[in-house]
Amino acid sequence: MGRMIELLELTKRYGPATAVDRLSFEVRPGAVTGFLGPNGAGKSTTMRMLLGLHRPTSGQALINGRRYDRIRRPLHEVGAVLDADAAHPGRSAFTHLACLARGNGIGKARVSAVLQQVGLESAAHQRVGGFSLGMRQRLGIAGALLGDPAVVLLDEPVNGLDAAGIRWIRSTLRSLAAEGRTVLLSSHLMSEMAVTVDRVLIIGRGRLLEDTSVDEMRQRFEQDVLVRTPRPADLTAVLARLGATVGTTGDGALIAVGVDAAAIGDAAAAAGIPIHALTPRSATLEDVYLQMTSSTTTYRAAAPSSALSPTDSAPASASVSASASASASEENH
Amino acid sequence: MTALMDRTFRDAVAAEWMKVRSLRSTWAFLAGGVAATALGALILFMLVSAYDAATPAERAGYETADPTVVTMPFVMFFVGAIGAMLVTSEYATRSIGPALLAVPRRRLLLGAKATVAGLVGLGCGALFSLLAFADARLLLGDRPQPINPWPRWTDAIPTVLCATLTVTVTCLVAMGLGAVLRSTAGALTVIGSLVLVAPIFAHFLPTVWQLRLASVLLPNLTPQLAGSDHPYLLSQGGAAAVTAGYVLLTLTAGAVAFTRRDT
Repeated sequence: MGRMIELLELTKRYGPATAVDRLSFEVRPGAVTGFLGPNGAGKSTTMRMLLGLHRPTSGQALINGRRYDRIRRPLHEVGAVLDADAAHPGRSAFTHLACLARGNGIGKARVSAVLQQVGLESAAHQRVGGFSLGMRQRLGIAGALLGDPAVVLLDEPVNGLDAAGIRWIRSTLRSLAAEGRTVLLSSHLMSEMAVTVDRVLIIGRGRLLEDTSVDEMRQRFEQDVLVRTPRPADLTAVLARLGATVGTTGDGALIAVGVDAAAIGDAAAAAGIPIHALTPRSATLEDVYLQMTSSTTTYRAAAPSSALSPTDSAPASASVSASASASASEENH
Repeated sequence: MTALMDRTFRDAVAAEWMKVRSLRSTWAFLAGGVAATALGALILFMLVSAYDAATPAERAGYETADPTVVTMPFVMFFVGAIGAMLVTSEYATRSIGPALLAVPRRRLLLGAKATVAGLVGLGCGALFSLLAFADARLLLGDRPQPINPWPRWTDAIPTVLCATLTVTVTCLVAMGLGAVLRSTAGALTVIGSLVLVAPIFAHFLPTVWQLRLASVLLPNLTPQLAGSDHPYLLSQGGAAAVTAGYVLLTLTAGAVAFTRRDT
Protein backbone atom coordinates (compact mmCIF):
# COMPACT_ATOMS: atom_id res chain seq x y z
CA MET A 1 0.00 0.00 0.00
CA GLY A 2 1.50 3.28 -1.05
CA ARG A 3 -1.07 5.36 0.78
CA MET A 4 0.93 6.96 3.47
CA ILE A 5 2.54 9.96 4.94
CA GLU A 6 6.28 10.16 5.13
CA LEU A 7 8.51 12.74 6.78
CA LEU A 8 12.22 12.79 6.09
CA GLU A 9 14.38 14.95 8.35
CA LEU A 10 11.76 17.67 8.15
CA THR A 11 13.00 20.94 9.63
CA LYS A 12 11.45 24.38 9.98
CA ARG A 13 13.28 27.34 11.43
CA TYR A 14 11.87 30.81 12.01
CA GLY A 15 14.99 32.93 12.37
CA PRO A 16 16.89 31.53 15.34
CA ALA A 17 13.92 29.49 16.61
CA THR A 18 13.58 25.89 15.46
CA ALA A 19 9.92 24.87 15.32
CA VAL A 20 10.43 21.43 13.79
CA ASP A 21 13.75 19.68 14.20
CA ARG A 22 14.80 16.88 11.82
CA LEU A 23 11.48 15.10 12.21
CA SER A 24 11.17 11.72 10.50
CA PHE A 25 8.26 9.31 10.68
CA GLU A 26 5.80 7.34 8.59
CA VAL A 27 2.07 6.99 8.90
CA ARG A 28 0.56 3.83 7.50
CA PRO A 29 -2.96 3.14 6.25
CA GLY A 30 -5.78 1.39 8.05
CA ALA A 31 -5.15 2.96 11.43
CA VAL A 32 -5.76 6.20 13.24
CA THR A 33 -2.43 7.72 14.13
CA GLY A 34 -2.25 10.40 16.78
CA PHE A 35 0.22 13.20 16.54
CA LEU A 36 0.66 14.32 20.07
CA GLY A 37 2.57 17.07 21.77
CA PRO A 38 2.14 20.04 24.08
CA ASN A 39 1.08 23.41 22.67
CA GLY A 40 3.93 24.85 20.65
CA ALA A 41 5.58 21.47 20.04
CA GLY A 42 5.44 21.95 16.26
CA LYS A 43 2.39 19.84 15.39
CA SER A 44 0.55 22.46 13.35
CA THR A 45 3.74 23.60 11.63
CA THR A 46 4.44 19.99 10.64
CA MET A 47 0.88 19.54 9.35
CA ARG A 48 1.13 22.77 7.39
CA MET A 49 4.41 21.70 5.82
CA LEU A 50 2.85 18.36 4.87
CA LEU A 51 0.10 20.26 3.09
CA GLY A 52 2.37 22.72 1.31
CA LEU A 53 1.16 25.74 3.28
CA HIS A 54 4.52 26.23 4.97
CA ARG A 55 7.81 25.78 3.21
CA PRO A 56 10.26 23.48 5.05
CA THR A 57 13.69 24.91 5.82
CA SER A 58 15.08 21.49 4.93
CA GLY A 59 13.94 17.91 4.62
CA GLN A 60 10.81 16.56 2.97
CA ALA A 61 7.19 15.91 3.78
CA LEU A 62 5.58 13.50 1.35
CA ILE A 63 2.09 12.12 0.86
CA ASN A 64 1.85 9.08 -1.39
CA GLY A 65 5.50 9.68 -2.22
CA ARG A 66 4.90 13.21 -3.49
CA ARG A 67 4.92 16.73 -2.20
CA TYR A 68 1.34 17.92 -1.66
CA ASP A 69 1.71 20.85 -4.01
CA ARG A 70 2.72 18.47 -6.81
CA ILE A 71 -0.60 16.65 -6.65
CA ARG A 72 -2.78 17.84 -9.47
CA ARG A 73 -6.19 17.33 -7.91
CA PRO A 74 -5.26 16.90 -4.29
CA LEU A 75 -8.74 16.65 -2.79
CA HIS A 76 -9.07 13.22 -4.43
CA GLU A 77 -6.02 11.98 -2.53
CA VAL A 78 -5.82 13.98 0.68
CA GLY A 79 -8.48 15.56 2.88
CA ALA A 80 -7.45 17.96 5.60
CA VAL A 81 -8.99 20.11 8.31
CA LEU A 82 -6.58 22.65 9.72
CA ASP A 83 -8.79 25.33 11.15
CA ALA A 84 -12.49 25.08 11.87
CA ASP A 85 -12.97 28.80 11.24
CA ALA A 86 -11.46 28.71 7.77
CA ALA A 87 -14.58 29.42 5.74
CA HIS A 88 -15.96 32.74 4.53
CA PRO A 89 -18.72 33.61 7.01
CA GLY A 90 -20.82 35.18 4.25
CA ARG A 91 -21.05 32.02 2.17
CA SER A 92 -23.46 29.19 2.76
CA ALA A 93 -22.04 25.81 3.73
CA PHE A 94 -23.03 24.49 0.33
CA THR A 95 -21.37 27.31 -1.61
CA HIS A 96 -18.21 27.11 0.51
CA LEU A 97 -17.84 23.43 -0.33
CA ALA A 98 -18.92 23.92 -3.94
CA CYS A 99 -16.10 26.46 -4.46
CA LEU A 100 -13.53 23.97 -3.13
CA ALA A 101 -15.08 21.09 -5.09
CA ARG A 102 -15.18 23.02 -8.36
CA GLY A 103 -11.41 23.53 -8.28
CA ASN A 104 -10.95 19.76 -8.23
CA GLY A 105 -13.59 18.91 -10.80
CA ILE A 106 -15.98 17.59 -8.15
CA GLY A 107 -19.70 18.10 -8.82
CA LYS A 108 -22.48 19.51 -6.68
CA ALA A 109 -24.07 16.11 -6.07
CA ARG A 110 -20.98 15.11 -4.11
CA VAL A 111 -21.21 18.35 -2.11
CA SER A 112 -24.75 17.43 -1.06
CA ALA A 113 -23.60 13.90 -0.26
CA VAL A 114 -20.80 14.97 2.11
CA LEU A 115 -23.07 17.52 3.80
CA GLN A 116 -25.46 14.67 4.47
CA GLN A 117 -22.62 12.44 5.66
CA VAL A 118 -21.64 14.95 8.35
CA GLY A 119 -25.23 15.73 9.28
CA LEU A 120 -25.36 19.28 7.95
CA GLU A 121 -27.88 18.79 5.14
CA SER A 122 -30.52 20.86 6.88
CA ALA A 123 -28.06 23.75 7.34
CA ALA A 124 -26.59 23.49 3.83
CA HIS A 125 -27.96 26.84 2.71
CA GLN A 126 -27.35 28.74 5.92
CA ARG A 127 -24.46 31.14 6.13
CA VAL A 128 -21.35 29.74 7.81
CA GLY A 129 -21.10 32.88 9.96
CA GLY A 130 -24.06 31.65 12.00
CA PHE A 131 -22.64 28.17 12.60
CA SER A 132 -21.62 26.87 16.01
CA LEU A 133 -18.09 25.56 16.50
CA GLY A 134 -19.35 22.00 16.25
CA MET A 135 -21.12 22.74 12.95
CA ARG A 136 -18.02 24.42 11.56
CA GLN A 137 -15.90 21.43 12.58
CA ARG A 138 -18.37 19.20 10.73
CA LEU A 139 -18.18 21.50 7.72
CA GLY A 140 -14.38 21.22 7.78
CA ILE A 141 -14.62 17.45 7.80
CA ALA A 142 -17.16 17.56 4.98
CA GLY A 143 -14.58 19.53 2.99
CA ALA A 144 -11.94 16.94 3.76
CA LEU A 145 -14.19 14.15 2.51
CA LEU A 146 -15.19 15.85 -0.78
CA GLY A 147 -12.77 13.91 -2.96
CA ASP A 148 -13.15 10.62 -1.06
CA PRO A 149 -9.45 10.74 -0.18
CA ALA A 150 -7.27 7.87 1.04
CA VAL A 151 -5.37 10.14 3.42
CA VAL A 152 -7.11 12.29 6.03
CA LEU A 153 -5.30 14.86 8.19
CA LEU A 154 -6.89 16.77 11.05
CA ASP A 155 -5.30 19.40 13.24
CA GLU A 156 -6.76 19.45 16.76
CA PRO A 157 -10.20 18.27 15.61
CA VAL A 158 -11.75 18.04 19.07
CA ASN A 159 -10.64 21.44 20.34
CA GLY A 160 -13.60 23.21 21.87
CA LEU A 161 -16.12 20.53 20.97
CA ASP A 162 -18.77 19.25 23.32
CA ALA A 163 -19.01 15.59 24.30
CA ALA A 164 -21.40 14.66 21.48
CA GLY A 165 -19.17 16.37 18.94
CA ILE A 166 -16.09 14.57 20.23
CA ARG A 167 -17.86 11.23 20.09
CA TRP A 168 -18.98 11.94 16.53
CA ILE A 169 -15.46 12.84 15.38
CA ARG A 170 -14.02 9.81 17.12
CA SER A 171 -16.40 7.39 15.45
CA THR A 172 -15.99 9.12 12.09
CA LEU A 173 -12.20 8.78 12.28
CA ARG A 174 -12.42 5.17 13.37
CA SER A 175 -14.69 4.28 10.47
CA LEU A 176 -12.44 6.13 8.00
CA ALA A 177 -9.49 4.06 9.23
CA ALA A 178 -11.58 0.90 9.11
CA GLU A 179 -12.15 1.61 5.41
CA GLY A 180 -8.39 1.36 4.96
CA ARG A 181 -7.61 5.07 4.93
CA THR A 182 -4.60 6.70 6.48
CA VAL A 183 -5.78 8.96 9.28
CA LEU A 184 -3.49 11.36 11.12
CA LEU A 185 -4.80 13.69 13.78
CA SER A 186 -2.97 16.02 16.07
CA SER A 187 -3.90 16.80 19.62
CA HIS A 188 -2.38 18.05 22.83
CA LEU A 189 -4.61 15.77 24.87
CA MET A 190 -3.31 12.29 25.65
CA SER A 191 -6.64 11.37 27.19
CA GLU A 192 -8.37 12.00 23.87
CA MET A 193 -5.76 10.04 21.97
CA ALA A 194 -5.97 7.04 24.30
CA VAL A 195 -9.49 6.22 23.14
CA THR A 196 -9.25 7.32 19.52
CA VAL A 197 -5.93 6.27 18.08
CA ASP A 198 -4.05 3.06 17.44
CA ARG A 199 -0.60 4.56 17.16
CA VAL A 200 0.91 7.65 18.71
CA LEU A 201 3.70 9.89 17.58
CA ILE A 202 4.75 12.12 20.43
CA ILE A 203 6.73 15.26 19.74
CA GLY A 204 8.18 17.91 21.97
CA ARG A 205 10.02 21.03 20.84
CA GLY A 206 9.87 19.87 17.26
CA ARG A 207 11.52 16.51 17.90
CA LEU A 208 10.07 13.03 17.82
CA LEU A 209 10.02 11.62 21.36
CA GLU A 210 8.07 8.43 20.81
CA ASP A 211 6.61 6.40 17.94
CA THR A 212 4.61 3.55 19.43
CA SER A 213 1.21 1.93 19.77
CA VAL A 214 -1.13 2.91 22.57
CA ASP A 215 -1.09 -0.64 23.98
CA GLU A 216 2.67 -0.82 23.94
CA MET A 217 2.87 2.48 25.71
CA ARG A 218 0.49 1.24 28.39
CA GLN A 219 2.50 -1.94 28.91
CA ARG A 220 5.85 -0.24 28.94
CA PHE A 221 4.82 2.02 31.72
CA GLU A 222 3.14 -0.66 33.78
CA GLN A 223 4.59 0.06 37.15
CA ASP A 224 3.73 -2.47 39.83
CA VAL A 225 1.24 -5.09 41.01
CA LEU A 226 -1.12 -4.60 43.92
CA VAL A 227 -1.83 -7.84 45.87
CA ARG A 228 -4.30 -8.51 48.66
CA THR A 229 -3.90 -11.62 50.74
CA PRO A 230 -4.89 -12.71 54.26
CA ARG A 231 -1.25 -13.86 54.79
CA PRO A 232 0.86 -10.86 53.77
CA ALA A 233 3.98 -11.88 55.68
CA ASP A 234 4.17 -15.31 53.98
CA LEU A 235 3.54 -13.84 50.54
CA THR A 236 6.19 -11.17 51.08
CA ALA A 237 8.74 -13.91 51.76
CA VAL A 238 7.68 -15.83 48.63
CA LEU A 239 7.84 -12.73 46.45
CA ALA A 240 11.20 -11.75 47.85
CA ARG A 241 12.54 -15.13 46.71
CA LEU A 242 11.28 -14.29 43.19
CA GLY A 243 13.42 -11.16 43.29
CA ALA A 244 10.59 -8.67 43.77
CA THR A 245 10.71 -5.61 45.94
CA VAL A 246 7.65 -5.61 48.17
CA GLY A 247 6.06 -2.70 49.98
CA THR A 248 2.74 -2.23 51.72
CA THR A 249 -0.12 0.20 51.41
CA GLY A 250 -1.83 1.78 54.41
CA ASP A 251 -4.74 -0.70 54.28
CA GLY A 252 -2.54 -3.77 54.35
CA ALA A 253 -2.25 -4.59 50.67
CA LEU A 254 1.14 -5.45 49.17
CA ILE A 255 2.77 -3.67 46.25
CA ALA A 256 5.20 -5.79 44.27
CA VAL A 257 7.68 -4.24 41.86
CA GLY A 258 9.82 -6.22 39.43
CA VAL A 259 7.52 -9.21 38.98
CA ASP A 260 4.38 -9.61 36.92
CA ALA A 261 0.91 -10.63 38.05
CA ALA A 262 1.11 -14.12 36.53
CA ALA A 263 4.32 -14.97 38.37
CA ILE A 264 2.82 -13.75 41.65
CA GLY A 265 -0.30 -15.86 41.14
CA ASP A 266 1.72 -18.98 40.30
CA ALA A 267 4.09 -18.57 43.24
CA ALA A 268 1.19 -17.97 45.66
CA ALA A 269 -0.66 -21.07 44.39
CA ALA A 270 2.47 -23.19 44.73
CA ALA A 271 2.89 -21.98 48.32
CA GLY A 272 -0.81 -22.43 49.07
CA ILE A 273 -1.30 -18.75 49.90
CA PRO A 274 -4.78 -17.42 49.06
CA ILE A 275 -4.96 -14.30 46.89
CA HIS A 276 -7.96 -11.95 47.23
CA ALA A 277 -6.92 -9.38 44.69
CA LEU A 278 -4.23 -9.07 42.08
CA THR A 279 -4.07 -5.84 40.06
CA PRO A 280 -1.31 -4.75 37.69
CA ARG A 281 -1.10 -0.99 37.96
CA SER A 282 0.15 1.25 35.21
CA ALA A 283 0.63 4.95 35.15
CA THR A 284 -2.23 6.53 33.24
CA LEU A 285 -1.24 7.45 29.73
CA GLU A 286 -1.78 11.03 30.76
CA ASP A 287 0.89 10.68 33.46
CA VAL A 288 3.28 9.06 31.04
CA TYR A 289 2.73 11.71 28.47
CA LEU A 290 3.18 14.57 30.89
CA GLN A 291 6.33 12.96 32.23
CA MET A 292 7.63 12.50 28.71
CA THR A 293 6.98 16.01 27.55
CA SER A 294 7.56 17.93 30.77
CA SER A 295 11.12 18.79 29.82
CA THR A 296 10.01 20.00 26.41
CA THR A 297 7.02 22.13 27.32
CA THR A 298 7.70 25.66 26.18
CA TYR A 299 5.50 27.56 28.59
CA ARG A 300 4.55 26.15 31.96
CA ALA A 301 2.87 27.51 35.02
CA ALA A 302 4.77 27.25 38.29
CA ALA A 303 2.42 24.74 39.93
CA PRO A 304 2.91 21.22 38.51
CA SER A 305 -0.82 20.49 38.46
CA SER A 306 -1.43 23.30 35.97
CA ALA A 307 0.69 21.56 33.37
CA LEU A 308 -2.50 19.67 32.63
CA SER A 309 -4.79 20.50 29.77
CA PRO A 310 -5.75 24.16 29.34
CA THR A 311 -9.21 25.36 30.20
CA ASP A 312 -10.50 25.68 26.63
CA SER A 313 -10.32 21.93 26.17
CA ALA A 314 -11.35 20.99 29.68
CA PRO A 315 -14.70 19.46 28.63
CA ALA A 316 -12.91 17.22 26.16
CA SER A 317 -10.35 16.15 28.70
CA ALA A 318 -12.90 15.54 31.40
CA SER A 319 -15.29 13.48 29.34
CA VAL A 320 -12.75 11.20 27.77
CA SER A 321 -10.19 10.81 30.51
CA ALA A 322 -12.86 9.37 32.74
CA SER A 323 -13.40 6.44 30.40
CA ALA A 324 -9.77 6.22 29.32
CA SER A 325 -8.30 5.74 32.73
CA ALA A 326 -11.22 3.92 34.33
CA SER A 327 -9.67 0.49 33.93
CA ALA A 328 -6.17 1.51 34.89
CA SER A 329 -7.12 3.55 37.90
CA GLU A 330 -9.54 1.12 39.50
CA GLU A 331 -7.12 0.41 42.32
CA ASN A 332 -5.26 3.64 41.90
CA HIS A 333 -7.01 5.82 44.42
CA MET B 1 -0.39 16.31 -19.77
CA THR B 2 -1.02 19.75 -21.21
CA ALA B 3 -4.68 18.92 -21.66
CA LEU B 4 -4.89 17.87 -18.02
CA MET B 5 -3.06 21.04 -16.99
CA ASP B 6 -5.57 23.07 -19.00
CA ARG B 7 -8.43 21.32 -17.23
CA THR B 8 -6.84 21.93 -13.85
CA PHE B 9 -6.54 25.60 -14.72
CA ARG B 10 -10.08 25.81 -16.09
CA ASP B 11 -11.42 24.19 -12.92
CA ALA B 12 -9.45 26.66 -10.80
CA VAL B 13 -10.84 29.58 -12.82
CA ALA B 14 -14.38 28.20 -12.47
CA ALA B 15 -13.87 27.91 -8.70
CA GLU B 16 -12.62 31.50 -8.45
CA TRP B 17 -15.55 32.67 -10.53
CA MET B 18 -17.92 30.91 -8.13
CA LYS B 19 -16.13 32.58 -5.21
CA VAL B 20 -16.32 36.10 -6.63
CA ARG B 21 -20.02 35.71 -7.40
CA SER B 22 -20.77 34.42 -3.91
CA LEU B 23 -19.08 37.33 -2.12
CA ARG B 24 -21.56 39.96 -1.06
CA SER B 25 -18.84 42.60 -1.28
CA THR B 26 -18.65 42.00 -5.04
CA TRP B 27 -22.25 43.12 -5.44
CA ALA B 28 -21.77 46.01 -3.01
CA PHE B 29 -18.83 47.34 -5.03
CA LEU B 30 -20.79 46.92 -8.26
CA ALA B 31 -23.57 48.96 -6.68
CA GLY B 32 -20.89 51.55 -5.86
CA GLY B 33 -19.99 51.69 -9.56
CA VAL B 34 -23.66 52.16 -10.47
CA ALA B 35 -23.97 54.96 -7.90
CA ALA B 36 -20.87 56.67 -9.28
CA THR B 37 -22.32 56.45 -12.79
CA ALA B 38 -25.66 57.87 -11.62
CA LEU B 39 -23.88 60.71 -9.84
CA GLY B 40 -21.86 61.37 -13.00
CA ALA B 41 -25.09 61.57 -15.00
CA LEU B 42 -26.54 64.04 -12.48
CA ILE B 43 -23.46 66.27 -12.70
CA LEU B 44 -23.62 66.13 -16.48
CA PHE B 45 -27.31 67.04 -16.40
CA MET B 46 -26.56 70.10 -14.26
CA LEU B 47 -23.73 71.10 -16.56
CA VAL B 48 -25.93 70.77 -19.64
CA SER B 49 -28.66 72.87 -17.99
CA ALA B 50 -26.14 75.60 -17.19
CA TYR B 51 -24.79 75.38 -20.71
CA ASP B 52 -28.24 75.80 -22.24
CA ALA B 53 -28.81 78.93 -20.13
CA ALA B 54 -25.46 80.47 -21.07
CA THR B 55 -24.67 83.01 -23.78
CA PRO B 56 -22.88 81.84 -26.95
CA ALA B 57 -19.67 83.52 -25.77
CA GLU B 58 -19.81 81.70 -22.46
CA ARG B 59 -20.61 78.43 -24.23
CA ALA B 60 -17.39 78.61 -26.21
CA GLY B 61 -15.49 78.63 -22.90
CA TYR B 62 -17.08 75.37 -21.64
CA GLU B 63 -14.82 72.41 -21.07
CA THR B 64 -15.51 69.06 -22.67
CA ALA B 65 -18.19 67.20 -20.71
CA ASP B 66 -16.66 63.76 -21.05
CA PRO B 67 -18.49 61.65 -18.44
CA THR B 68 -15.62 59.18 -18.28
CA VAL B 69 -13.47 61.88 -16.66
CA VAL B 70 -15.90 62.31 -13.77
CA THR B 71 -17.11 58.76 -13.16
CA MET B 72 -14.32 56.48 -14.30
CA PRO B 73 -11.91 57.03 -11.39
CA PHE B 74 -14.70 55.96 -9.01
CA VAL B 75 -15.62 53.02 -11.20
CA MET B 76 -11.93 52.06 -11.23
CA PHE B 77 -11.84 52.16 -7.47
CA PHE B 78 -14.94 50.01 -7.04
CA VAL B 79 -13.99 47.46 -9.70
CA GLY B 80 -10.43 47.41 -8.38
CA ALA B 81 -11.83 46.63 -4.95
CA ILE B 82 -13.53 43.53 -6.39
CA GLY B 83 -10.16 42.44 -7.79
CA ALA B 84 -8.35 43.02 -4.50
CA MET B 85 -11.03 41.12 -2.55
CA LEU B 86 -10.39 38.05 -4.69
CA VAL B 87 -7.24 37.60 -2.63
CA THR B 88 -7.67 39.66 0.54
CA SER B 89 -11.10 38.25 1.50
CA GLU B 90 -9.48 34.82 1.73
CA TYR B 91 -6.75 36.08 4.03
CA ALA B 92 -9.28 37.99 6.15
CA THR B 93 -11.45 34.90 6.67
CA ARG B 94 -8.56 32.40 6.70
CA SER B 95 -10.27 30.58 3.85
CA ILE B 96 -6.94 30.92 2.01
CA GLY B 97 -6.04 27.65 3.78
CA PRO B 98 -8.80 25.54 2.21
CA ALA B 99 -8.31 27.42 -1.08
CA LEU B 100 -4.67 26.34 -1.19
CA LEU B 101 -5.56 22.81 -0.11
CA ALA B 102 -7.90 22.59 -3.09
CA VAL B 103 -5.45 24.23 -5.52
CA PRO B 104 -1.98 23.96 -3.97
CA ARG B 105 -0.04 25.22 -6.99
CA ARG B 106 0.24 28.83 -6.04
CA ARG B 107 1.04 30.23 -9.42
CA LEU B 108 -1.88 28.35 -10.90
CA LEU B 109 -4.20 29.62 -8.16
CA LEU B 110 -3.00 33.20 -8.59
CA GLY B 111 -3.26 32.80 -12.36
CA ALA B 112 -6.88 31.68 -11.94
CA LYS B 113 -7.57 34.69 -9.71
CA ALA B 114 -5.90 37.02 -12.23
CA THR B 115 -8.03 35.52 -15.02
CA VAL B 116 -11.19 36.18 -13.03
CA ALA B 117 -9.97 39.69 -12.10
CA GLY B 118 -9.36 40.33 -15.80
CA LEU B 119 -12.81 39.06 -16.76
CA VAL B 120 -14.52 41.07 -14.02
CA GLY B 121 -12.52 44.15 -15.03
CA LEU B 122 -13.35 43.67 -18.68
CA GLY B 123 -17.05 43.10 -18.08
CA CYS B 124 -17.43 45.95 -15.58
CA GLY B 125 -15.20 48.26 -17.62
CA ALA B 126 -17.29 47.71 -20.73
CA LEU B 127 -20.54 48.06 -18.76
CA PHE B 128 -19.65 51.30 -17.02
CA SER B 129 -17.94 52.98 -19.95
CA LEU B 130 -20.94 52.17 -22.13
CA LEU B 131 -23.23 53.56 -19.43
CA ALA B 132 -21.15 56.77 -19.32
CA PHE B 133 -21.31 56.94 -23.10
CA ALA B 134 -25.07 56.44 -23.05
CA ASP B 135 -25.41 59.26 -20.48
CA ALA B 136 -23.48 61.56 -22.75
CA ARG B 137 -25.53 60.68 -25.82
CA LEU B 138 -28.80 61.14 -23.95
CA LEU B 139 -27.90 64.35 -22.17
CA LEU B 140 -25.72 66.09 -24.73
CA GLY B 141 -27.73 65.09 -27.79
CA ASP B 142 -26.49 67.02 -30.80
CA ARG B 143 -24.97 69.92 -28.89
CA PRO B 144 -21.72 70.98 -30.51
CA GLN B 145 -18.13 70.85 -29.34
CA PRO B 146 -16.45 71.83 -27.07
CA ILE B 147 -19.04 70.69 -24.48
CA ASN B 148 -19.89 67.57 -26.47
CA PRO B 149 -16.80 65.39 -26.72
CA TRP B 150 -18.41 63.05 -29.27
CA PRO B 151 -20.56 64.95 -31.80
CA ARG B 152 -20.94 61.67 -33.70
CA TRP B 153 -21.39 58.49 -31.69
CA THR B 154 -18.52 56.78 -33.53
CA ASP B 155 -16.16 59.37 -32.03
CA ALA B 156 -16.71 57.72 -28.65
CA ILE B 157 -15.49 54.26 -29.70
CA PRO B 158 -11.77 54.74 -28.84
CA THR B 159 -12.62 56.29 -25.46
CA VAL B 160 -15.09 53.52 -24.55
CA LEU B 161 -12.59 50.82 -25.53
CA CYS B 162 -9.68 52.44 -23.72
CA ALA B 163 -11.74 53.12 -20.58
CA THR B 164 -12.68 49.43 -20.59
CA LEU B 165 -9.00 48.59 -20.82
CA THR B 166 -7.92 50.86 -17.97
CA VAL B 167 -10.68 49.50 -15.70
CA THR B 168 -9.50 45.96 -16.53
CA VAL B 169 -5.92 46.96 -15.77
CA THR B 170 -6.96 48.55 -12.46
CA CYS B 171 -8.73 45.34 -11.43
CA LEU B 172 -5.59 43.30 -12.20
CA VAL B 173 -3.33 45.81 -10.44
CA ALA B 174 -5.58 45.70 -7.37
CA MET B 175 -5.51 41.90 -7.31
CA GLY B 176 -1.70 41.95 -7.50
CA LEU B 177 -1.58 44.50 -4.67
CA GLY B 178 -3.96 42.31 -2.68
CA ALA B 179 -1.56 39.38 -3.01
CA VAL B 180 1.32 41.55 -1.82
CA LEU B 181 -0.50 43.26 1.05
CA ARG B 182 -2.87 40.40 2.06
CA SER B 183 -5.09 42.97 3.73
CA THR B 184 -8.34 44.41 2.39
CA ALA B 185 -7.83 47.74 4.14
CA GLY B 186 -4.27 48.01 2.83
CA ALA B 187 -5.15 47.10 -0.73
CA LEU B 188 -8.17 49.45 -0.86
CA THR B 189 -6.09 52.31 0.55
CA VAL B 190 -3.40 51.86 -2.07
CA ILE B 191 -5.83 51.47 -4.98
CA GLY B 192 -7.85 54.45 -3.72
CA SER B 193 -4.66 56.48 -3.50
CA LEU B 194 -3.69 55.53 -7.03
CA VAL B 195 -6.96 56.35 -8.78
CA LEU B 196 -8.63 58.94 -6.54
CA VAL B 197 -6.08 60.70 -4.31
CA ALA B 198 -2.99 60.91 -6.54
CA PRO B 199 -4.78 62.93 -9.28
CA ILE B 200 -5.73 65.54 -6.63
CA PHE B 201 -2.26 65.45 -5.13
CA ALA B 202 -0.76 66.05 -8.58
CA HIS B 203 -2.49 69.44 -8.71
CA PHE B 204 -0.35 70.71 -5.86
CA LEU B 205 2.90 69.99 -7.67
CA PRO B 206 4.74 72.52 -9.90
CA THR B 207 3.20 72.42 -13.38
CA VAL B 208 5.98 70.39 -14.99
CA TRP B 209 5.80 67.70 -12.31
CA GLN B 210 2.05 67.88 -12.21
CA LEU B 211 1.91 66.82 -15.84
CA ARG B 212 4.60 64.17 -15.47
CA LEU B 213 2.85 62.55 -12.54
CA ALA B 214 -0.67 62.98 -13.96
CA SER B 215 0.38 61.39 -17.24
CA VAL B 216 1.19 58.05 -15.63
CA LEU B 217 -1.88 57.84 -13.37
CA LEU B 218 -4.34 55.08 -14.23
CA PRO B 219 -7.43 57.25 -14.86
CA ASN B 220 -5.46 59.61 -17.12
CA LEU B 221 -4.16 56.77 -19.26
CA THR B 222 -7.61 56.44 -20.91
CA PRO B 223 -7.43 59.63 -23.04
CA GLN B 224 -3.75 59.06 -23.76
CA LEU B 225 -4.43 55.51 -24.98
CA ALA B 226 -7.39 56.71 -27.03
CA GLY B 227 -5.33 59.51 -28.55
CA SER B 228 -8.15 61.97 -27.89
CA ASP B 229 -7.75 65.62 -26.91
CA HIS B 230 -5.86 65.75 -23.62
CA PRO B 231 -3.22 67.83 -21.85
CA TYR B 232 -0.93 64.91 -20.90
CA LEU B 233 2.53 63.96 -22.12
CA LEU B 234 2.43 60.36 -23.38
CA SER B 235 1.96 59.17 -26.95
CA GLN B 236 -0.45 56.27 -27.50
CA GLY B 237 2.50 53.88 -27.58
CA GLY B 238 3.96 55.39 -24.42
CA ALA B 239 0.62 55.10 -22.66
CA ALA B 240 0.32 51.46 -23.76
CA ALA B 241 3.80 50.78 -22.33
CA VAL B 242 2.92 52.39 -18.98
CA THR B 243 -0.34 50.42 -18.88
CA ALA B 244 1.50 47.16 -19.52
CA GLY B 245 4.09 48.17 -16.91
CA TYR B 246 1.39 48.52 -14.24
CA VAL B 247 0.11 45.02 -14.89
CA LEU B 248 3.54 43.43 -15.16
CA LEU B 249 4.87 45.07 -12.02
CA THR B 250 1.94 44.34 -9.72
CA LEU B 251 1.25 40.81 -10.95
CA THR B 252 4.94 39.89 -10.68
CA ALA B 253 5.14 41.35 -7.17
CA GLY B 254 1.93 39.51 -6.27
CA ALA B 255 3.22 36.22 -7.66
CA VAL B 256 6.55 36.52 -5.84
CA ALA B 257 4.85 37.35 -2.54
CA PHE B 258 2.23 34.65 -2.96
CA THR B 259 4.65 31.85 -3.84
CA ARG B 260 7.41 32.70 -1.36
CA ARG B 261 5.50 33.32 1.82
CA ASP B 262 4.12 30.72 4.22
CA THR B 263 0.39 30.68 4.64
